[in-house]
Amino acid sequence: MTSQALAWRTLTANPARGLLAVAGVAVIGALLFDMLMLSSGLLVSFRDLLDTAGYDVRVVATDGLPVLRVPIPHATALAADLSRQPEVQEVAVFRLDRVLMTMSGRWPEGVTLISVSEGAERHTWRITRGENLITGEGALERRPLVVSDRLATALSLTPGSIVRVRPTMSGVASAIPEMEFHVVGVAEFEFSMADDLTAATTRDGFEQVRAGRAPGNKDEADAVLVASRPALGSEAAVTAINRLRPDLRAYSNEQLVAQFNQNGFSYFRQISFVLSSITLGFAFLLVATLLTVSVNQRLSEMAALRALGFSRRRIAATLLWESAWLVGVGGLLALPLGGLLALELDRILRAMPGLPERLHFFVFEPRAVVRYLALLTVTGLGAAAYPVWVAARLPIAATLRREIVS
Amino acid sequence: MTPIVEGRDLTRAFPMPAGPVTALRDVSIAISPGEYVAIAGPSGCGKSTLLHLLGCVDAPTTGSLVFEGRDVARLTERERSRIRLTRIGFVFQRFFLLPMLSAWENVELPQAEIGIHPADRRARTRELLDYVGLIDRGHHRPSQLSGGEMQRVAIARALANRPALLLADEPTGELDEDTGEHVADLFDRVHADGTAIVVVTHNPVLAARAERRLAMKRGTVVSS
Repeated sequence: MTSQALAWRTLTANPARGLLAVAGVAVIGALLFDMLMLSSGLLVSFRDLLDTAGYDVRVVATDGLPVLRVPIPHATALAADLSRQPEVQEVAVFRLDRVLMTMSGRWPEGVTLISVSEGAERHTWRITRGENLITGEGALERRPLVVSDRLATALSLTPGSIVRVRPTMSGVASAIPEMEFHVVGVAEFEFSMADDLTAATTRDGFEQVRAGRAPGNKDEADAVLVASRPALGSEAAVTAINRLRPDLRAYSNEQLVAQFNQNGFSYFRQISFVLSSITLGFAFLLVATLLTVSVNQRLSEMAALRALGFSRRRIAATLLWESAWLVGVGGLLALPLGGLLALELDRILRAMPGLPERLHFFVFEPRAVVRYLALLTVTGLGAAAYPVWVAARLPIAATLRREIVS
Repeated sequence: MTPIVEGRDLTRAFPMPAGPVTALRDVSIAISPGEYVAIAGPSGCGKSTLLHLLGCVDAPTTGSLVFEGRDVARLTERERSRIRLTRIGFVFQRFFLLPMLSAWENVELPQAEIGIHPADRRARTRELLDYVGLIDRGHHRPSQLSGGEMQRVAIARALANRPALLLADEPTGELDEDTGEHVADLFDRVHADGTAIVVVTHNPVLAARAERRLAMKRGTVVSS
């Protein structure tokens, strides 16, 4: 009988103890797995979100939050200049403003109105009902609008609805006249916040809304998105843009992720590190305690096996296998358990206001599973070390004598 | 005839907080192949200590022990384990069968340890369980056996690798008189089959069956 089989038989001979131990390891393992997913999940999700847009460089006028940034003037000319750079493949101008939308018989809703360059729509939203924005003849008068699912629900909008739009002015009541927009489609927006209502219109529609607040076509952009040529890469594009327009800030996705990793994400990294360490400590103590108690209960049995000629290595191997069974079975059960727990925790955390709807805190990655299994293996081996040492160093004759005397 | 095991001037002292306690003092003993020796004496006289030395599970403080021509003191731990596994059989007062294994598996275990082929293992286990009269109880766990049955399984386990020497420490200590006599009968058979036996016992009936009886007192052999 192999050490593996002997260990299994030892554990199953006391099923209640074995099940409790496996359940304990599974719960602790699930927490550990979740913490490992959390330790990189937000970063992976953020990176994925940036990459989804299809642009790998962002150009803004100043640092800081989008709503507080100074807009980039002469956006059309800038986009044309950037397009001429050999490192640049595609350029999109991104505009964003806050407006009030009114539908008869309903309270006005605050909405984020966006506009992107023609052709960039496919990276920004996906039509689920109706049509996409129309351009060209008649677009100027019709003022087409694509609305998010949440906005459609809030104002009972469907393709064909007419909605009144008025720009908002921060801190003051607005008396700017409303304009009518025609809803042509309902869409899922890639970057919309979980608690935000979003709509998109053409550049002309957007400029008309802005002109209501500040007359004159200012041709401003909140950000310019750039896709670099794959052969040259985003860093080359950033260098070229900085050379062309040193007054602006250009960031590659890598730089944004690195900034996020250093600033906003460090909180989650620290939390996950502390909780991972604690859960590993619990797993170690649980398995070490169980095995030590088990060994102490079976000292005479082990001394007898040694007297019968079983080697120290064989006894140690059997105990290591006991640890491996407990940690292995519990650890594998922890994966689906941790997955379910992560779904629930992710749902709770994503309900925080101001977060992009598609951003996740817990992201499943093969790397997280590998790290989890490696940590659990080391913990299992470490936890078995003391009981193995006790069993291997057991004085055979003294232990047998003690058993008889007792 | 060359003895299986021979101890010369064996002394075993145990360190204690109040000073060393000498459990065995200058004992010399030789066990020849096929011999049946009983060691008797009051509790604490050093019987089990002597048995443990003969079985290579303990080392003498002074004196020499030679097993089948090899000086035990010069052997590594691994070599001593190998001798115990292949040349010595142990029977304990409290049986020490593995509770999670069946009687059959308990008997198979030492054979598996030295890598005997499964088919040969099965044949030997069947033979041994038949030998001790428990062929129909092979799949029972120790908890499902009586004390006498457990001791018979333990004897079968001790004989599994065809040892030259069977050591038994109070093998009837946990058994009633009748059951103890059955176990004694079994030792007679083992002896008749050519295995040397050293039995430590308080049981005069069991001791009376041995060819040679040693009486011990305060760590020394007082008569033989």
